[in-house]
Amino acid sequence: MDFDFSSLLAFIMFGLTIGVVYGIVALGISLIYSGLDIVHFAHGEVYMFGAFFGLVFSSQMGLPYPLALLAAMISIGLLGIVIERVFYRRLTRSGGGYTVAGMGMIICGFGMSVVLQNIAFLIWGADAEPFPVDLGPALEVGDITLPRSYGLTAIIAVVLMAALHLFLKKTRTGLAVRAVAANKDIAFLMGINVPLMISVIFGLACALAAAAGTLIGPMQSVQVEMGYLMLMKAFAAAVVGGFGSLPGAIIGGLLVGIFENLGAAYISPNHKDIYAFLLLILVLMIRPSGLFGVEVRVKA
Amino acid sequence: MKPHARRLIAGGIVAGVLGALASTALAADIRVGITMRMISENGQKYGQMVMDEIGMINEAGGINGNMIQATLLNDECKSDKGVANANKLIFQEKVHLLIGSTCSSVTLPIVDVTAKAEVPQIIPHSTNEKITKKGSAWVFRVPVSGRYYAGVNAKYVGENIGKRIAYICAADAASQNDCEAMQAQMNSQHGAEAVYVAQVQEKEVDFRTHMQKIKSAGVDGIMIAALAETMARALVQSYEAGIGEEVRRIGSSSASNSPVPAIAGDAAKGVFFAAAYAAADTRPIARLFNEMVRSRYGIHAPDHDFSQAYDLVRIVEIALNRASLSLEDGDLAADRTAIRDAIASVKGYRGLGSGEISFCADPTPQCRDGNRTAVLIAYSKGGEDYVTEVLARVTMPEDFGL
Repeated sequence: MDFDFSSLLAFIMFGLTIGVVYGIVALGISLIYSGLDIVHFAHGEVYMFGAFFGLVFSSQMGLPYPLALLAAMISIGLLGIVIERVFYRRLTRSGGGYTVAGMGMIICGFGMSVVLQNIAFLIWGADAEPFPVDLGPALEVGDITLPRSYGLTAIIAVVLMAALHLFLKKTRTGLAVRAVAANKDIAFLMGINVPLMISVIFGLACALAAAAGTLIGPMQSVQVEMGYLMLMKAFAAAVVGGFGSLPGAIIGGLLVGIFENLGAAYISPNHKDIYAFLLLILVLMIRPSGLFGVEVRVKA
Repeated sequence: MKPHARRLIAGGIVAGVLGALASTALAADIRVGITMRMISENGQKYGQMVMDEIGMINEAGGINGNMIQATLLNDECKSDKGVANANKLIFQEKVHLLIGSTCSSVTLPIVDVTAKAEVPQIIPHSTNEKITKKGSAWVFRVPVSGRYYAGVNAKYVGENIGKRIAYICAADAASQNDCEAMQAQMNSQHGAEAVYVAQVQEKEVDFRTHMQKIKSAGVDGIMIAALAETMARALVQSYEAGIGEEVRRIGSSSASNSPVPAIAGDAAKGVFFAAAYAAADTRPIARLFNEMVRSRYGIHAPDHDFSQAYDLVRIVEIALNRASLSLEDGDLAADRTAIRDAIASVKGYRGLGSGEISFCADPTPQCRDGNRTAVLIAYSKGGEDYVTEVLARVTMPEDFGL
């Protein structure tokens, strides 16, 4: 194909719109990792639940799309808190504080992933569900056609990231969350309710995953199996950006999104999922801690 | 002899007699194993329909007085599960006949299992042409082979749409075959090379880059060869990329499945595809079938997965009635051979399908691809209450595409 500048712009825009979604999920993964020392393998399924909740609120309960998004975030955030309190906390306690002890947490994460997927299967079945959102006609920018949902996805993603940034940097609860992420024992000695903050972190991360699911639904429809690939891409984004780094997760998501779209456009259109992981390998070879990586801590 | 010893002996005799009776009853059943993709709502319903139809044969007196004992397993369209199901059905259940599978990628390895175990296998849905090209003497295909679909599609596209065609090909075996066969037919019939070809994952979700490139390339048509849900997403995203309806969308045979119009909505309108059954068929038998599926399973308009599953049960019924079966455990191999030969003797079966279904003894695609007639169908309305129209019906020569 001859080089075409408007197509290049289109590929970058496609990359950005999917990249912000990867970034939001990666942000949740990084948040949980930095706060709880857990690599949460069930986060893809939390994202899938978020997409279905968004669909139910929007299509079945008739809420406007932004309200459906908010409702899905709140519901899944609460669900995340329940999962953390009921299942994960027992393991982290028995393993010694909130550090990973052995493989227990990893296996529990995989188990939770299977449980959530099967629950979703029982509720919604295996068929993909359309997620129709009528936002008006697509925007024509030169030769590029952009559905409004793409623009809305980018705007909402930026708003979410800004809100999270403000929450963490400008509020007392955000300060407490950061303190818990930095050192739980010292945070406890400073009078911070560590278990409560951990619930806040988990709830926030799950709410972000729900936002990502509700944003992706109108683009790709909603299906029980949608979590796996998103989890892989979000992990790639988190690692590229630097595991545990919140700005890194977002930048990593954008890079993965743009890189896979440009790879599919200019290298080979076949099996474009490869490019995300190719980028991951390249970054790890050059900078093992990721682009914005913090010092890698050895878990207990 | 002590009383408890007498009781033991008597108990043993009773148990022996009961065991013998049970084994006689078991031997008198015709055991049929079924493996299908039953993870979707449609899959569960046509699986249930097969079981219901077999149940009705039994209620009507069975096959020459023998009941059909059917075991239905779900392979989830995964080849490892399909092979495990086939092995379980053949070696544990000792079935006389195996039905399955839905997905070509599952059926392909099962063909090797049934060939080695010498068990007749009859296929309800899979279209990949390699299935019958393997040369197994034990395999029979009820659906239309991909080589016939490709021929019909290519003829229509070349004569009515144009020669600049882009292809999006999913990684599953049926879609790969549909894509390759269509490209080969476009080349051989019209001298047309593919303008753009993209290989995508079986469950790809983001087609926007491909659609932008296809839009830039300026094509007459886009062939999307993928399983139903993947195809629906690609259709929606093709319109989102700004590719107008003047560029025709060509579906692989899975475009017939109801999730395509249900998920794609308006984007399904105008999509055409070759299939083995049209819900718009006006024959009384088709009207009755549509009504039965609607009332019994709540399906708005049955696709060819339903019709082929139904036709398959009828063909099995015909063959089992013809086969001379002893149904003794020691005669399992002979009974399997008799069933295979009886299926091979089915000629000119006219049911719901697009054409007559005939088999013969040679283990060749010409003999074992039963239905050579494809019907070309287009969606005139998308959504849950989709509407189809028939564009053409074409019967291909038996050695076409070989």
